[in-house]
Amino acid sequence: MTVPSSTLILVEDVSKRYLTSSGPVSALDDVSLRVDAGEFCTLIGPSGCGKSTLLGMIGGLVTPDRGRILIDDRPVSGPDPRRVAPVFQDAGLFPWRTTVENVEFGLELQGVSRERRRQVATELLGPLGLSAFAAKYPRELSGGMRQRVAIGRALALDTKILLMDEPFGALDEQTRVLMGEWLLDIWRRTRKTVIFVTHSLHEALALSTRVVVMTARPGRIKSILPLSLPYPREMESPELVTLRAKLWGEIREESLRAMGEQARTAS
Amino acid sequence: MRVLAARVVIVVALLVVWELAARAWNPLLAVPPSVVPPALIDLLMLRSYPDLPRHLLVTVREIAVAYALAVAAGLGCGFALGLYRTLGRVYAPILAALYAVPAVVWYPSLMLFFGLDSASKIAFGFLLGFFPITLAVLAGIRQVSGGLLTVARAFGAGPVTTFRLVMVPSMLFTLVGGLRAGLALTVIGVIVGEVLGSKAGVGALINHAYGLLRTTDYVALVLVTLALVVTSDALASVVERRARRWAE
Amino acid sequence: MPSPAWSSAGRGGGRNDGAARAQRRLVKRARIVGLQLVSILVALVAWEVAARGGWVDPLFVPAPSAVAAAFGRIGAAALRALGDTLVKAGIAYGIAVVLGVGAGLALGSARRLRDVLNPFVIGVYGIPKILVLPWIVLLLGFGAAPAIVYGTIQAFFPILLIVMGSVRDVDATLLTVARSYGARPWQLYWKVILPAIVPAVLAGMRLGIVFCLLGVLIVEMFAGVRGMGYVMGSLANGFRAAELFAVTGLVSAASIAIVLTLDVLNDRLAHWRG
Repeated sequence: MTVPSSTLILVEDVSKRYLTSSGPVSALDDVSLRVDAGEFCTLIGPSGCGKSTLLGMIGGLVTPDRGRILIDDRPVSGPDPRRVAPVFQDAGLFPWRTTVENVEFGLELQGVSRERRRQVATELLGPLGLSAFAAKYPRELSGGMRQRVAIGRALALDTKILLMDEPFGALDEQTRVLMGEWLLDIWRRTRKTVIFVTHSLHEALALSTRVVVMTARPGRIKSILPLSLPYPREMESPELVTLRAKLWGEIREESLRAMGEQARTAS
Repeated sequence: MRVLAARVVIVVALLVVWELAARAWNPLLAVPPSVVPPALIDLLMLRSYPDLPRHLLVTVREIAVAYALAVAAGLGCGFALGLYRTLGRVYAPILAALYAVPAVVWYPSLMLFFGLDSASKIAFGFLLGFFPITLAVLAGIRQVSGGLLTVARAFGAGPVTTFRLVMVPSMLFTLVGGLRAGLALTVIGVIVGEVLGSKAGVGALINHAYGLLRTTDYVALVLVTLALVVTSDALASVVERRARRWAE
Repeated sequence: MPSPAWSSAGRGGGRNDGAARAQRRLVKRARIVGLQLVSILVALVAWEVAARGGWVDPLFVPAPSAVAAAFGRIGAAALRALGDTLVKAGIAYGIAVVLGVGAGLALGSARRLRDVLNPFVIGVYGIPKILVLPWIVLLLGFGAAPAIVYGTIQAFFPILLIVMGSVRDVDATLLTVARSYGARPWQLYWKVILPAIVPAVLAGMRLGIVFCLLGVLIVEMFAGVRGMGYVMGSLANGFRAAELFAVTGLVSAASIAIVLTLDVLNDRLAHWRG
């Protein structure tokens, strides 16, 4: 099978099972996906649909039980900070490091010289809006600022791929929207490939070039919604309203199924 | 299973090495494990120390009195400092500062004041047990969720009702933990007091055996004292579990 | 691109009543300290009056003035004894910290080791150490050795447990983040675990010094010929209440001072914790 040369990430028939106290649970079941370079691909679905597991697999932290994942035609066998940089929902900043020290963390692990990595990190602070907070510690920053530091840490590696697991999930609504706009700006300037996991329809529709809807457990791909509308998106435009209704229709079904299963396992 | 086997192997290996090394070097001082069971039997059959029961009783009594005092004073002080904010803000730091002093510095003064009798041991045990109880009460009060108190007030509950229905259940866990720690420390305080100088109690017997180089009897006495300590803590944990169930 | 307007609204900066608030806090603190000093003063005066008035037997409870006078008399000897005790405690402390932190790191990271040894550690920790003291003295004699060994034993366990717990409790997210950025095992230790446990290590060290002092004093009281514990024991036996109170006060003050110093050091080194 020939794969188009623009394909950056290839997920092939990937499955994953977890052993829990109540028996084996299938997180992902035969998932296949192709992501092209430069895409903003969003994974959306109810809780437990395996989207974080899939992201973890692309990032090399989780090994599939079956199937494989290729990045740049190379199989993924562990974290690959030269190609993939992660951002987590919990910003995961090291509390004993200042902002700039947190941003340069990835570079430090790779053995980049102190001057060079300090320079890269400091330059990044500008677009991050954090120049005035270079020497502050995470406890002195707000939630939104901490996420920006986490994103900066990922950007510092200058990888082709950015993985983001509900990065704005812990923020309030207004901050989320503004952070989304800011992220979009960064993405368009750096031309990275972003894989973005979210619960939020608004984020999916405002940010993505493609939305991948996943089913409730066991996670499979239910449908893929390509979005070729120009940026910044007119969220009230008729096309987007129709798209939102369509997207919600797909997700709602799966969410109800997930809720039903939760009720079953809880009782 | 493998973990259990590993532990058994460790224990057996330690006993064997100890036995061989002790016999090789100095069986009197190093006390090989093999001499312990007969010495223990001698002790329990009241052959080596015929008035062991009397001494045990003395120690148990000292612990009981000291603990009762520690609980009363600890709860009283803790609630006074915790519920009356100004009082707490002024005196709690003083208490915390005293906590930084190793408790044994008070013991010579207690001995001077109370003599070698039970009173000094009770006083020392009280001092040791008092602090963790007070601190636990303070910590427990501090962690009562403000949200819950607001709910109680919104429903019109008065101070006593709030105390009974919101504060006590919220802080029960911390409180019982503190009471348990207090008992453990009281027990240690009484035993330390006895070993450092007393006429009666298991600590005095230990001191006596040590003085006469009756090392096997000494080890047997230590084991009996350990049994006492373990029993008291086991009782405490039973009470703790009972209290927890009652609270839920 | 200009940074979003909301990005400059950071924490803690630019509130114009910050100065007024700080001043109110200072006044409150001053009032508290004032009340504390007044309380202590009142207690001392009441004590003096009670002793002078004969309400308490001056043989057992000497007046503060008598205590002060006694301190003047034996001050030099007391300080020498205190120094002796502190030296022993210091040595024990050094050993206990090295052993405790090392063992804590080892047990905290090696899950299998910990699973096997955990009940032993907790069991031995639960034994009142005083029970082995006579045996230690029998083995090591009356010099400084039993005091140092016993002080080490007293401080070792709390430090071990605290460090072990802190290694186990390192935020798993931080480890996941580090691993996803390509950290190798030694980097996980050096760059995540060790910095993360610094507050706990400092807390353990602060606790340890009190236990070290405690251990050394106990040994000096039980079977010593020098040091503060021995001096206090002798004074008690000789019914020299005023001198005993003076010396007790000295040791207490020294202990509080040491702990306060460690607290300040703690704050300085772990200020990122907030």
